[in-house]
Amino acid sequence: MSTQRVLVTYSAPQSFISSDQWKQLYDALLGQLPLRNIHWKPQTRPSIRTIQELELQLVALDTIRDENTSQVPCSLLERPLLNIYVVICEDSDAYKATARKQIKDWQASLSHRKNQEWIIVHVVRSDARNVSTNFFQMKGNVLDKIKAEFNTDKRDRCVQLAWPLAQDNPAAWAELLSKVKDGLLSAFDTAVSQRDDEVRRSEGQQSMPGWNFCTFFILKESLAASFEGMNLFEDALRYYDELEMSFAHVLREKNLSWFGTLIIPGAKDDSLPLLSITKKPYRDLIVANTVSVFDLRIYILAKQCGLLGKIGKVADVCRKVAMFLTSFGRHLREVSVILPPYFIESWTYSSALSAIEQADFWARNVKLEGIVLNQFNACKAELLELARNQVWLLPCSGHMVADRIQLDLFGIQLGLLPSRPPFSMSSPGVPALPVDAKRESRIISNSELLKCSADQTAFYDLYTKLTNRAIDTYVKAGRRKFALRLHGSLAALDVRQDRMTSALQTYSSLPAHYAPHGWTSLESYMLSQAINVYALSGTDKDKQWINIALAYLKLCSGATSSESLTHQENSTTYITEVVDSLKVAVDKLNEPFSYPEHPALSIRLLDEIVVPAEDEDGYFLFVSVLNLLSCPLPASKICVSLSGRESEQLRFCTQVKLIEPGTSTFKLFCPSSSWGTYILDQTEVTMSNLHLKWNHRPATMKSVQASRTKRFVPTLVRILKDVRAFGVCLRQPRSVEFGPGMSSRLFWPFLLLTGPPGVTFRFQESTVDGDATSASLECATDSISIADLAEDSQISVLIPHSDASAYDTMQITMLATYNTRKDAAVNRSLLQSSRVPASLPIAVNVQDFFRGERLFSRFTISASAQNYICVSSATLESVQGDKGGLSIFDTLVQMREIVVQIEAYLEQNVEALDDYPQHDPDRSRLIAQTIRALESDSDWVAHRGITDELRVPTLDKEGAQNKILTLIGEMLTKGKLAGAKSGSWREIRIQVDVPILAAVRLRLIPTLFSANSESSDQMPPLYAGQPIPALLSIKTSFHWGKRQHASRKSYQMRFDIQEMVRDWLISGRKRGDFEAEDESTYTVAITLIALHHGELSLPKVVAHQVHGAEKVLILPRGGRSTFIVGMGEGLSVE
Amino acid sequence: MAGNALTSSSSSRPFSPAVDARSINLGLAAIAFISPQNHPILVRAVSGSQEDLLKYHYLAHTSLDVIDERIAAASKAPIESYLGFLYALEDVAVYGYITPLKLKIVIILTLSDAVVRDADVISIFKALHWAYYRAAANPLLKLHTPLDTPNDHILVVGSPEWVSFRKRVDEVARAAGALPVDSAS
Repeated sequence: MSTQRVLVTYSAPQSFISSDQWKQLYDALLGQLPLRNIHWKPQTRPSIRTIQELELQLVALDTIRDENTSQVPCSLLERPLLNIYVVICEDSDAYKATARKQIKDWQASLSHRKNQEWIIVHVVRSDARNVSTNFFQMKGNVLDKIKAEFNTDKRDRCVQLAWPLAQDNPAAWAELLSKVKDGLLSAFDTAVSQRDDEVRRSEGQQSMPGWNFCTFFILKESLAASFEGMNLFEDALRYYDELEMSFAHVLREKNLSWFGTLIIPGAKDDSLPLLSITKKPYRDLIVANTVSVFDLRIYILAKQCGLLGKIGKVADVCRKVAMFLTSFGRHLREVSVILPPYFIESWTYSSALSAIEQADFWARNVKLEGIVLNQFNACKAELLELARNQVWLLPCSGHMVADRIQLDLFGIQLGLLPSRPPFSMSSPGVPALPVDAKRESRIISNSELLKCSADQTAFYDLYTKLTNRAIDTYVKAGRRKFALRLHGSLAALDVRQDRMTSALQTYSSLPAHYAPHGWTSLESYMLSQAINVYALSGTDKDKQWINIALAYLKLCSGATSSESLTHQENSTTYITEVVDSLKVAVDKLNEPFSYPEHPALSIRLLDEIVVPAEDEDGYFLFVSVLNLLSCPLPASKICVSLSGRESEQLRFCTQVKLIEPGTSTFKLFCPSSSWGTYILDQTEVTMSNLHLKWNHRPATMKSVQASRTKRFVPTLVRILKDVRAFGVCLRQPRSVEFGPGMSSRLFWPFLLLTGPPGVTFRFQESTVDGDATSASLECATDSISIADLAEDSQISVLIPHSDASAYDTMQITMLATYNTRKDAAVNRSLLQSSRVPASLPIAVNVQDFFRGERLFSRFTISASAQNYICVSSATLESVQGDKGGLSIFDTLVQMREIVVQIEAYLEQNVEALDDYPQHDPDRSRLIAQTIRALESDSDWVAHRGITDELRVPTLDKEGAQNKILTLIGEMLTKGKLAGAKSGSWREIRIQVDVPILAAVRLRLIPTLFSANSESSDQMPPLYAGQPIPALLSIKTSFHWGKRQHASRKSYQMRFDIQEMVRDWLISGRKRGDFEAEDESTYTVAITLIALHHGELSLPKVVAHQVHGAEKVLILPRGGRSTFIVGMGEGLSVE
Repeated sequence: MAGNALTSSSSSRPFSPAVDARSINLGLAAIAFISPQNHPILVRAVSGSQEDLLKYHYLAHTSLDVIDERIAAASKAPIESYLGFLYALEDVAVYGYITPLKLKIVIILTLSDAVVRDADVISIFKALHWAYYRAAANPLLKLHTPLDTPNDHILVVGSPEWVSFRKRVDEVARAAGALPVDSAS
């Protein structure tokens, strides 16, 4: 049933029809078509339907045959909805004579036609019309007569058309067209409601015997077709949907008595375009009641899709087709026995592709954009994928069978390829059929697929082509994840085709897409496939493989492993295999390969305090290693790096073989005697060339977010000092002392000092200080080494260094490497840094007072640092030598810091304790504890200053040693520290000289004499307000000046009495010049008046050289001047 | 509790007489919960072999695309929780549901010719949503998680809470698999 136009008949008197005028009129009428904006308010439905555009087909009445012969209900539009009669008669008489009769005949011929409307069009000449509207014409015009005669009910079915006025004027047609619309709608409405009733009646009879679905279908479809003809596609679609529903309902009830079979497979059924309704005489089949379910459903689908295509819902077309193909394909499998082999696959394939073509064709007329376009693409891609999957299920020639089975097994594992291999078609409820059991007589008709089944290359090509097309379309639709899945399946195909490189590329790039959102299952699957590809291709396991394997193991570790999808039953075996091959691959690596932060292993320190190894120099660190993998991990070495304050590194290592799953504890050793507080920096597990590394502190502190829980907390490790180990300490005066050399194992120390920038050590000039020991010193340009340092001995080495006065303290890093006799092979090291004050601990200040030819000097010795200093002796020695005739003295101070003194004292006295012979390692610890106790509280200092007793603050230490400590404390309290003069005192020699005057130095002695008496002992009372005569005398002495200048006899000097306006009024020479000569006195008389009573100090007198500080006036430079004249004036508006 | 929710919602479901005669087996194959940030929370194959689990993972993953598409399409109108049929692949159909807090629930039904009624699917979704809600409502779940972890990934895979959540989901699946026809209505 093709789309029909609405039929409208016309008739007119024979004479008129044959005239040219009719032809013009007919053409003009066609020009007004199609009808636009028809609003239909159906009786049976609530809402108003709007038909945008409606094509009409104008036919002559006599060409319409009465088609009541057929019993098959056809579209309501099959028969005309409207009949038009055109009258051209301007004369009432003519009307009466002929026209009236003709109209009556015409009307009579219509009378038996149901549901048809009619209109009489009275064509008038426009000029004639004007004449006819004669006021005096009593008879009325022809139109009125026609109206009066033929308008039987209220509707006015007669209309006048002015001609040829209407030829140019569209408005002239308005009345006619609106009448046509009205007529059409009313006829259609009646017809539809009538047909609706029929359909309803038929539907109600469903349960009655003899009810035939096909009849019902045809009946109902006729309605749908009518709506379609009226361009009411939505309504038509609704009818088809209802039909589909009721068909499904009928099918469900298995009331299929009127259907011969589910399907009568035709020769080309599998390759015909799905959405074509002309490929088979569907309607005839239905009418003949011989249609199969297959055909009927395709027919309904094609109709639905056609309508959807017309209203532009192309995405829905694809969706519907995909749904239908999958669901009905399943249905067909129930009867696959009677179908040619692979009919279903071929049918699905061809249908999907043809549907896409058809949808694309429809989509050309619709403007798609945005989401709708995406949806369309997505649905198309789904169809493409469906078609692709069908290719997979195709039959294949002999040599491919085994291949395909294998691939399919691979594919099933993958889950990417259809899970129904062609040889075990295991749709639920359908027994699997061997290929041979199928009727081979008929084959599928799709040539493409036939070619594929014969030729493997063609098969792969087609499959790949379709997959790529689907991927492209998915990408266009924005369905990235779908595309990823297909990429995965292509990779699986590549594996089969031995294109390992591209397969590997895909497999190794895919995990990155699944990782971000934690789809670990898929990620790990991809990784395991990549591993498999390596195994299959036999390629060498390179770095990329190691990366993949490590990434896979990352996912295998921990809680997520329960969600892993690969090799579920024997995951442990699989992981073990991976780990083993990882070991092999890593062994083959030429260069070290490090991998950061692998979660499968984690290393934790067991104890924060590291204790020294008992019998050798070095420390043991206990760590627990947690292996989250389900199999043991072969490893060769575990290392932990600690980082100290000066970023010095300690490396604890141990050799291992296997790290068992779960937690295991290891003991790590570091051959170093450095001690202090360290921060856990890095841990490392080595598997031959592979280094798994974990960083335990952030690279930058900025990267740490201010969050309560994620804040970085460093792991601190305290390494206790091993008093028996090799030690180095730095002391002022920049001497290096080895000591307290407890180590019996010292063999060949090698020492390197690094000072702050700018300070260099002159190692070559270093000398052994103090007592000569058995050790010998060898100096190189950049280090010193000491040979044969005996056990329990100490050696002091003086190393001169360049000027360090720029620093208060010098930060000196000492690196010592040494071997012990016991384990000569082990290189031990000691990295230590200490601060040495660069300034002197004491300062000597001298204050000089010149009194004529005598000089008084005050020497002050003060501690420059915040240390208590003990001074043993201080002497002043005169240094002979003529330096301009003045003396130079050396102050020699024997001093030491009090702590050093006490230390020395303790050394002596604790040694004296019988219980603690010298070799006891506890000795130095006891001393250290005592010192620490002294440091903790400074009260004893004041006490000691008075009584010279050392009262050690209470030590609350661990029980066993407490007693001894108390004993020491008592001993210290009793013993006088004053007696402890022995020990090493530091001598500091500082040169002090009497100031050398560069020029003549004057001593001015201003003296005030009373007016009447030369002697000052009987001073008369002075009263405020009274004038007091005074004498200013200036005595000059050249005694402390340099001898060379003595030849010069005199200097021109000036004196100045400073005015004190609140105390004194001064009268006389307040300022004056005088000649200064050795041992001469210059006198000036002045008068003073005291302004108030009280103790007043006399005015100050200052003397200076005349030309010492003269002032000159400097004038500003006057070369150029700028004057601004009359600014803002003289502005006038012209 | 989840089962109760299911039966209570199903009792009010209208059935046509034709459906009433037969029991509905929707062929529930797998259930997937996906977090608002698209992290998988749980992918569970409830019927069929575990071998298909990978496939279900794939389906759950790809369904995110379709869900995004739907949300984008309905960006102007307030979106309904039930997203309906998402897509079909091979022999399964995927249905989606999104909670107001953007948790995505996806169920995978074995495709059959029978008509799947939305009401049935919605009731399963509601029960599943309820099961998740019950499992996630435990305030102690976040006890040991850092404060600034994304809020959505409460149910840490493998934790004891997760196991109990899985049990709840299985309960729903059992109820849905043998969903009895309510003859009362």
